[in-house]
Amino acid sequence: MTPPTESFYKVPYDLRPAKQIERRMLIDAFQRLSFAGFPIGEYQYTGMGSIYFVDFILFHKLLGIDKLLSVEISSKITKRLRFNKPFQRVDIQICPIGDVIPQLSRDRRHILWLDYDGLICSEFLRDLVLAGTYLSAGSILLVTVDVEPPEGNSPKEWRDYYAAEASAYLGKESKVEDFVKTSLVARNTGFIKRAIMQGLVGREAEFIPMFNFIYADGHNMLTIGGMIGTQQERRQLKASSLNDTSYFRSNLEIPPYAISVPRLTRKERLYLDGFMPCNEKWKPKEFELPPESVLAYREIYRFFPAYAELLL
Amino acid sequence: MADMANVHAYPRKQFFLEMFTRDISLEDCVLDLIDNSMDSLLRSRNIDIEAQVLGAAQGGQTRAAIAPAQIIVKYSESQFDISDNCGGISKKEAEDEVFCFGHSSKVPTGRLGVYGIGMKRAIFKIGNTIEVTSRTTESSFTVSIDVLKWSQKDTSLEDWTFPITKVEAGVPLSKAGTSITIKDLRPEVKVRMNDGTLDAALSNAIGHTYPAFLDSLVKVKINKVDVDRSDLPFGGSGDIKPGIDKFEEDGVKVTLLATLAPMDKRTQEIAGWYVLCNGRVVVLHDKSDLTGWGIGLPAFHSKYRGFVGVALFTSANPMLLPWNTSKRGLNREAVIYQKARNRMAGVSRPVITFLNEMYPSDLPERHVEREIASRVVQQDFRPLISAQSKTFEVIRPVSKKKTMRAQFDVDIADIERIRKKLRRPGMSASSIGRYTLDHYLKTECPE
Repeated sequence: MTPPTESFYKVPYDLRPAKQIERRMLIDAFQRLSFAGFPIGEYQYTGMGSIYFVDFILFHKLLGIDKLLSVEISSKITKRLRFNKPFQRVDIQICPIGDVIPQLSRDRRHILWLDYDGLICSEFLRDLVLAGTYLSAGSILLVTVDVEPPEGNSPKEWRDYYAAEASAYLGKESKVEDFVKTSLVARNTGFIKRAIMQGLVGREAEFIPMFNFIYADGHNMLTIGGMIGTQQERRQLKASSLNDTSYFRSNLEIPPYAISVPRLTRKERLYLDGFMPCNEKWKPKEFELPPESVLAYREIYRFFPAYAELLL
Repeated sequence: MADMANVHAYPRKQFFLEMFTRDISLEDCVLDLIDNSMDSLLRSRNIDIEAQVLGAAQGGQTRAAIAPAQIIVKYSESQFDISDNCGGISKKEAEDEVFCFGHSSKVPTGRLGVYGIGMKRAIFKIGNTIEVTSRTTESSFTVSIDVLKWSQKDTSLEDWTFPITKVEAGVPLSKAGTSITIKDLRPEVKVRMNDGTLDAALSNAIGHTYPAFLDSLVKVKINKVDVDRSDLPFGGSGDIKPGIDKFEEDGVKVTLLATLAPMDKRTQEIAGWYVLCNGRVVVLHDKSDLTGWGIGLPAFHSKYRGFVGVALFTSANPMLLPWNTSKRGLNREAVIYQKARNRMAGVSRPVITFLNEMYPSDLPERHVEREIASRVVQQDFRPLISAQSKTFEVIRPVSKKKTMRAQFDVDIADIERIRKKLRRPGMSASSIGRYTLDHYLKTECPE
């Protein structure tokens, strides 16, 4: 397993377009929740900010979240983490995220993003149990894991990895054929769901699914998200405009929302934007673009970041 | 319409005599009988478990300020006796409740006796001729049971009675109590009583089961020898603040404590979770998935041998507590227990992280953590029960570097000259460096 902080050496966090689209969609969703009566600005955001703090900056600026906590496990770059803290409001704790979850105030609602870089492992699942145990009703839990096949070349080896790491959460799917490459997303979804439900045992609240994203800026990643809520939150969610969006997933049985980012030049994007949102059959007249790319762009153009060189 | 008849679903005495005595050890029988004595004591002295046994009282109320009662267990090859001065059972209770198999009322009157089977199961397991005498301040009575005779008559529910053979006046509270004498012991019980290990096994079981009651409320003797209390290995120090988590649900109060074991008791055996129901220890140093290891906690590993957790469940209605019928295990399906188990993992997390830091896999062992852990001493967990929930905390000293390395090259000839002068030809160069520095400090830099 790669400790969360160390992946910052591998990936420039702020330049991952699919990830950024995911963040923008989450913000869109949270804004809709605000309109539906969830006081998102008063939520506490707890995440793993690394040294870039991208979600912290966005959530503070766009959602007005004032209480922000970044948790990092690596004590090797403590000064660097603190140096890069974007706002005074961001607290930093250096410890495993699992130590922090039981301490999250039960008098407050939370957005907790367990944004792991690695494959699901027993430690992540323990964190999920804790999240289910401790998050107050109305809180939002997001989990991101890598869903590439584990080490080894065969479904048998992959099954053995998951049987070792997630033995308690395998459910009915424990045969080798359940662990073929195309099934790994579904398997991971099951582990995540069951671990959260384990944490919710004996509580009135349940896990109400909201998000199920898959995307790849390199590795295939899966984000599952939802609200820890009672019947009241369920009703409130049902009445929200989240149901009108294409990325909303109110149950995890339907296929995940795939964030796919067509490769386009800046000029092409400006041109396409002029016709967005287009109808199903629209095709650009000025250049060739497969219809699936047009539709993919239509899905994401509102959330798609534009990157440019900036000479500071 | 055809004639409708009922099928018979009578209880059979043989079932109670042969079946339900099989699931329980002789030690458990004695514990069940002690539970009955404890319940009499709690009832007759009006003792509140939370306030006076677990010491959670607020506002000056302290643990029971009474002379401890006595429970005396004696046995030989021919007879088993247990007697107490814990207040006794009233004749009314005996007539209506105590000898029934299972409780009739919805809420049991005791705090440790739960299912209304413990005493019967225990006496039937031990022998065939039983005499129970109980004296309260109001009345006294004796019930005699000839088990073989009783079991032979089993045709209707009317046969399910035991005769009261003697009724007398009440006694002063200090003398009120119950005594049970069992003769005509079962063969397998005789074997246990003769094998030379039973005294120690009983003493050990009682000492570990009732640390919250022993000495302060009651003393137990087995064949004239006092039972030693075995305190839970709960540690604390100036640098260590145990983690506390509390919640209350459906009539059960749950208090979860996690800390390090005291240095002098730290072994792999004593590490783990201790679970208490109404003050009685039902699970001892558990390191299995029963208490969340490998589920909410990592699987137990020798590096966690310093971990000790205490989970306390208390309720006025002991039926709501998650213990099983032998009271030496848990009903792990109980919803309250499943919920508590998740939170046991939460309150333990920082202790586990501390122990991980103490024994890092990729670095030499950490001295700061080891030093802190070495200062942990035995502590009574009971005062913490009334404290607020808080996270396990370690106060690490602000490390200020107090030493630096002095390293330099010298002529070998100079070292040899000093060795010669000191008449220590084998002295190492670094020892000579140390010696000469100390010498200079002593002679030139008086403090």
